[in-house]
Amino acid sequence: MEIILPVLLVIMFMMAAYKKTSVYDSFVRGAKNALPVLISILPYMAAMLAAINIFRASGALQGFIDLSSPVMEFIGIPRELTPLVILRPFSGSAAIALLDDIFKTCGPDSYQGVLASVMLGSTETIFYTVALYFGSIGIKKTRYSIPTALISGIAGIAASIIAVQLMWK
Amino acid sequence: MMNVFWGIMIFFGLVIGLLNGQQGELVTAMITGATDAVMLCIELAGAYMIWMGLMEVASDMGVIEKLSNAVRPVLSKLFPKSKSAIAPITLNLAANFFGLGSAATPFGLKAMSELQKYNPNPTVATNDMCMFIALNASALELLPTTVLSMRVVAASNDVYIVVVPTFIASIVAFVTAVVCCKVFESIENKKQKE
Repeated sequence: MEIILPVLLVIMFMMAAYKKTSVYDSFVRGAKNALPVLISILPYMAAMLAAINIFRASGALQGFIDLSSPVMEFIGIPRELTPLVILRPFSGSAAIALLDDIFKTCGPDSYQGVLASVMLGSTETIFYTVALYFGSIGIKKTRYSIPTALISGIAGIAASIIAVQLMWK
Repeated sequence: MMNVFWGIMIFFGLVIGLLNGQQGELVTAMITGATDAVMLCIELAGAYMIWMGLMEVASDMGVIEKLSNAVRPVLSKLFPKSKSAIAPITLNLAANFFGLGSAATPFGLKAMSELQKYNPNPTVATNDMCMFIALNASALELLPTTVLSMRVVAASNDVYIVVVPTFIASIVAFVTAVVCCKVFESIENKKQKE
């Protein structure tokens, strides 16, 4: 896997030499565009991370987790995985930290550890992506994109549970 | 919709924090979050410059155009109205598929700015944008590289046991996203006609 990218780049630079493309000028021009893009998404990142942080630090997240974990357990999501399911759409780094916790408490090969791995691998940070992508170009009306993303996330979680349960038998 | 979600998170954070007697930490928590965003941006700046620089080299050579011509028959069905966005969309999906998270976002942002060129109403998302977001919200990956390396670190006896179920679940999410998008699209079309 790791070899694909360097090899592709070697081919590209050989072609560039053959075509006499001014690679340095092109690279610098492209890299220059990266900075305005980053500055345009920074406020959206700040808003998102500030909201997640206050939600977590205040104890609101824990309350929400305590409230929803009976429901989650009813639909086949173990108690230990509730925080992961709730935080996953908002923050990738939080989800990774939670997966690490689950590995430490339940073990990576336990039912919880495997299901958590599958859930993390098959879902995305929906709200973060929506905020960043739409924010970068100034879209205010996101129409049906958030419902669609949430439904597909729920479908991914449901499929994770079914797939892991089938494998477990 | 983001207004509602964001508002709810901040509001409940503040109210529950006050009830829990954490008045001193609430504003600090928000500032810490924003500071994290700044640090993250600085960390990302390096990767973004590399990927966007290399993409510019490839596009100046005409490689990107050839690539997008090759995949256009498939992708133009999903993105019928956004010709020049096909190339960055392809790169974004490919980066996601091969687990190159650091490249997926800059390509994705580039795709959004191309999609915006075909938008008659610059503050309202187009159908093609919603489709692109939907595809990005369902992580279709060949190998879940982050999860696998975490399983190795956690000394799993069977690291790769999660690969097949992850792929199945991702495909379910991916297909659901596409179908859902098309359904919402046709519902809105019908409403407009009435």
